[in-house]
Amino acid sequence: MTDFRARVFGYKRASHTGTDAYAVLEKIPIFQDLSRRELASIERILHRREYVPDEVIIRQDEPGLGMYIIESGKAAVLSEPDKVRLSDLADGDFFGEVSLLAETPRSATVAATTHCRVLGFFQSDLFSLIERDPRLGVKIVVRVAKIIGDRLRKANQQLLTVSDELRRARQQTEPS
Amino acid sequence: MSSPVLRPRAEVAPLLIAMVLAVFLLFVGGAAHIVILSLLLSYILDPVATMLESRGMSRTLATIIIVLGLGSLLVLGSVVLVPAVFEHLKTLQSGSTTAQAASAIADMELFARDKLAFLGLGDINLGERIGEMRQAIGERAIAFLLSDAVSLLINAVTIPFMMFFFIKDGREMKKRMVSMVPNRYFEFTLDLLSKMDMQLGNYLRGQFLDAVIFGAMSIVALWILGVNYFVFLGVFAGLANLIPYVGAIAGVVPAALVAVLGSGNLSSAIPVLIAYAILKMLDDFVVQPFAVASSVHMHPVLVLIAIIVGGELFGILGMLLAVPVAGFLKVVLQEGVSTYRKYRFS
Repeated sequence: MTDFRARVFGYKRASHTGTDAYAVLEKIPIFQDLSRRELASIERILHRREYVPDEVIIRQDEPGLGMYIIESGKAAVLSEPDKVRLSDLADGDFFGEVSLLAETPRSATVAATTHCRVLGFFQSDLFSLIERDPRLGVKIVVRVAKIIGDRLRKANQQLLTVSDELRRARQQTEPS
Repeated sequence: MSSPVLRPRAEVAPLLIAMVLAVFLLFVGGAAHIVILSLLLSYILDPVATMLESRGMSRTLATIIIVLGLGSLLVLGSVVLVPAVFEHLKTLQSGSTTAQAASAIADMELFARDKLAFLGLGDINLGERIGEMRQAIGERAIAFLLSDAVSLLINAVTIPFMMFFFIKDGREMKKRMVSMVPNRYFEFTLDLLSKMDMQLGNYLRGQFLDAVIFGAMSIVALWILGVNYFVFLGVFAGLANLIPYVGAIAGVVPAALVAVLGSGNLSSAIPVLIAYAILKMLDDFVVQPFAVASSVHMHPVLVLIAIIVGGELFGILGMLLAVPVAGFLKVVLQEGVSTYRKYRFS
């Protein structure tokens, strides 16, 4: 009866498969501090995929449609065409969040290195969430924007450091 | 709970079998038009459910409200329209002609003898022909209504029932279908579906809104002009307006004929023709730019082929559904090809 009322009048109980996903989602900065109800709404729109070792999850230069969260397993970030290993990813790590706001080509390839379970969160689902639950949708968008802003600030700082080092190196090598 | 990872080839096989089975069942079972109509209606009404959801309602309650609303409209329409339809059909079946209609027919005969004799229409007996035609149409329509009453009733129950589940569980159904796609084609499928959704959603909802507005404008115009059966003729004009090129003519001809037969004067077709010309201009320059956000451009030959094929498969309903379905297939093909090019499938 409670279940029927919940289904008809709005509150929806967590699905059985959702409980594992909550633990992972709560650790992701984008979904931190969301209520159980909000997490349940997110969990319902996530796509669960499984990859075997060496299987590619996303490919460099292909359209970026959204982000992936590693629920369990390990993956590697590779730069094409030489497949240079840029970094490693493990449980709870996420990638591709910029694509949630803008459909940009993937900047690197990510391939599973072990058996991998991932959760996919895509732009089309985020936009549809904004339409039916604007409060939650805006919360997510603001957090993604904040993460991208932080990353941009860090990138700017690194760029400044690198250009300073370059300038110093040039001064040292120039004949006096 | 984890499901074992299937290799692409193993995953494609059940998907293909399911698709072939679905197509087979649809066409052999003769339920295709019911499914297509339910899908189209759910697709058109989906934003209403989303809007209700954004106001804090659950999807289920939103869907119940939509289906009940549509059901009430249908019941109301049936209560008002069905007795009137039977009354009109009985008059048609009797083949009797009013004095005004007889005079109009005589005028038309005279016109044909004087002006169109060179086409071999000099000895045409229009009165007799029209009488026969009316009787045949009336008999056929009554036979159709009586013999197909059961299937009409079944459709009236099945379509809202299917619509309910398509609207309520549509997202989940789409998610489950996508989950069957092999990893390599997963993002491509999502990309394709979201682009199709954008294009088709705008197109179908726009067409539907345009048909409703055009139908309502026609009803008002015919009512002002005092044309009989203005509600049927207006609804028919609205539906016919869904069909590009031919729709406008298909909508105006019956209205002009009814006006002539009702008044007994050939010249009474002129106000109807002028009214429809104004309505069509209003539709093209005012309604369509607002209602139809994106149009799926189709070549006139493609439209005609679609209408013929639709008519052959599912009769009048098929003719009406042919253009939206052809538009759907065109978008699928176009978006499929352009999205495919962005992926490095080898």
